Amino acid sequence: MANTEGTVWSDRYSRQTRFAPIGEKGQRKLADACVLIVGVGALGASLAQHMVRAGVGEVRLVDRDFVEPSNLQRQMLFDEADALAVLPKAVAAANKLRGINSEVNVIASVADVSRTNVEELASGAQLVLDGTDNASTRLLLSDVCFRQGIPFIYGGVAGAGGMSATLIPGETGCLRCLIGAEQSENEVDTCDTVGVLASTVEFIASLQAAEAIKWLTGNHAAMRQTWLSVDLWSFRLRESAMPQGIGNCSYCGQEHAESDSAEEANRESEELGFTVLCGRDTVQVTLGKPLDLDRLEKWLGGQGCMITVNRYLVRAKLPSGEQLVLFPDGRVLVQGTSDSDYAVRLCKAYVLELKQLI
Amino acid sequence: MGREAWNDFRLYVITAESNHPGKSVVDVIEQTLIGGAQIVQLRNKTGSRDEVLEQAKALRELTRKYKVPFIINDYPDIVLETDADGVHLGQEDMPIAEARRLLGPYRMIGISTHNLQQALAAERDGADYIGVGPVFPTDTKPGRAAVTTSYVTEAARHVTIPFVAIGGITLGNVDLVLAAGANRICSVSAIVGSHDPAAMCRSFLRRLEAGAEESKTVVMNGREEHTRARTVEQLVIQAGQQNKKLVIELNGIIVQRALWAETELKSGDSIELVHFVGGG
Repeated sequence: MANTEGTVWSDRYSRQTRFAPIGEKGQRKLADACVLIVGVGALGASLAQHMVRAGVGEVRLVDRDFVEPSNLQRQMLFDEADALAVLPKAVAAANKLRGINSEVNVIASVADVSRTNVEELASGAQLVLDGTDNASTRLLLSDVCFRQGIPFIYGGVAGAGGMSATLIPGETGCLRCLIGAEQSENEVDTCDTVGVLASTVEFIASLQAAEAIKWLTGNHAAMRQTWLSVDLWSFRLRESAMPQGIGNCSYCGQEHAESDSAEEANRESEELGFTVLCGRDTVQVTLGKPLDLDRLEKWLGGQGCMITVNRYLVRAKLPSGEQLVLFPDGRVLVQGTSDSDYAVRLCKAYVLELKQLI
Repeated sequence: MGREAWNDFRLYVITAESNHPGKSVVDVIEQTLIGGAQIVQLRNKTGSRDEVLEQAKALRELTRKYKVPFIINDYPDIVLETDADGVHLGQEDMPIAEARRLLGPYRMIGISTHNLQQALAAERDGADYIGVGPVFPTDTKPGRAAVTTSYVTEAARHVTIPFVAIGGITLGNVDLVLAAGANRICSVSAIVGSHDPAAMCRSFLRRLEAGAEESKTVVMNGREEHTRARTVEQLVIQAGQQNKKLVIELNGIIVQRALWAETELKSGDSIELVHFVGGG
């Protein structure tokens, strides 16, 4: 147990180990544990902070986005310098977290969680913590957690409202059974449409973190077995009992169907894909091939774009006003439009054009 | 026919001569009465006054024989002349007060409505019943946008006089209309355009009866509600929430989405519909 200068702080976790249900035994379990936190926005940053301060041995962070000024009101790990430097959230968070607790192995991935990478990201984790902002990624996480037997701690916030529940393979139903997998047009309220109170974020993240610590320290009987919904403005809080799995569900049912996810993953093509990021006037275009950011930076500069660059991404403000944020893994966030066809056209014109010239 | 019997009808039939070339209006309407039609409206927007009067006389005689009320679209004067039971008006026709003045206190006045505001105005102005529609797109009234089942649900909640759901209703979609809260339905082309209007009426009546399960009282999101929804899923449709991502709790326990359709509601159930919260 040493800080960056090698000093041992024997009392680092003393206030946590004096809490009887955790104790020294629980602390050792935390040190041996690994958690995956998907999405390092408001909930994710708060969750990461809780896990790192508590001394969880390995904390994996995954996020596809970068820090913007509108994040600073509630995303507790970021500051103005991160927004000015356009740092990816996973990177900015990891920088802060390593300063908070150098004993923790913080692994940051700047990536979009998809069928192709989710199994590997979750593999070996004792818990998956939900810091995402959309239902489809949550469904994907629920699927992989039930396949791998890892509890998934859901949390969601919007406005002054929030929800949280722990989904445990073998005990509760999976998210797919609970909320259905149908795409709904105007899905739900999001922080981008109805705003969000920072205090709501902390309330829900705190509920998730408490359950995570119970699970990781072996206090399984103490787990809250309810779906909790709360409105902090009117202060109403409701708990509903969690149902068991549904017999014929291939994820949470008794008869686990053989999963075909590996096949699905292999079938995932390298074609252009896109996701409209809900309520954000942003479309994520997936080019399916790694991008050479050095070349792209020069090329886009020559096309009259205003360029911001760091080790992790290139941001190009186009003469037409939209912004392209390019990641080396082949993703482009097109900001300033929610028209996916138009976003794809911009990517073809500004990014794929270069590939053809080479 | 006494006025008190008016509220009993559930299957409302309207004439549409162009839907049955080669068969007379009287013959087709008699078939619907044999099949169990419970109220008949003469609607003739193209014929001369004399033609309408002639049809009205024939249908008055026929409906007396089968003891069902007879309504005429427009023409309060023909209502009086043939001793019909009432008039049906559109939003662009004469005001309800004017029709009431012409017809006196005992004849029925119905009016077509396309939104809740019109429905509440009709109720305030003394209409005896309203039409609610067109629920689905229909050739009978081309060019008018469908109001969808969400207006049916609004009407079920807020309108206290009888309302009749109308517009594009067929055996294929009538269950949705009933689930949305309608008690009374009217089908024009599906009935009078059928090769066997009597059988079609019997089929509709069977569906109406199946849908008329005991009304139950449940507490939904803390408020007492009367509903004829049989299942959680039907209640979701009635509440107009079928396109939302919801978490539903029934008597303290979450009901998985996959089980909504088979989870039956009982009187006294307590149900919470909460929108799934997705931000992060």
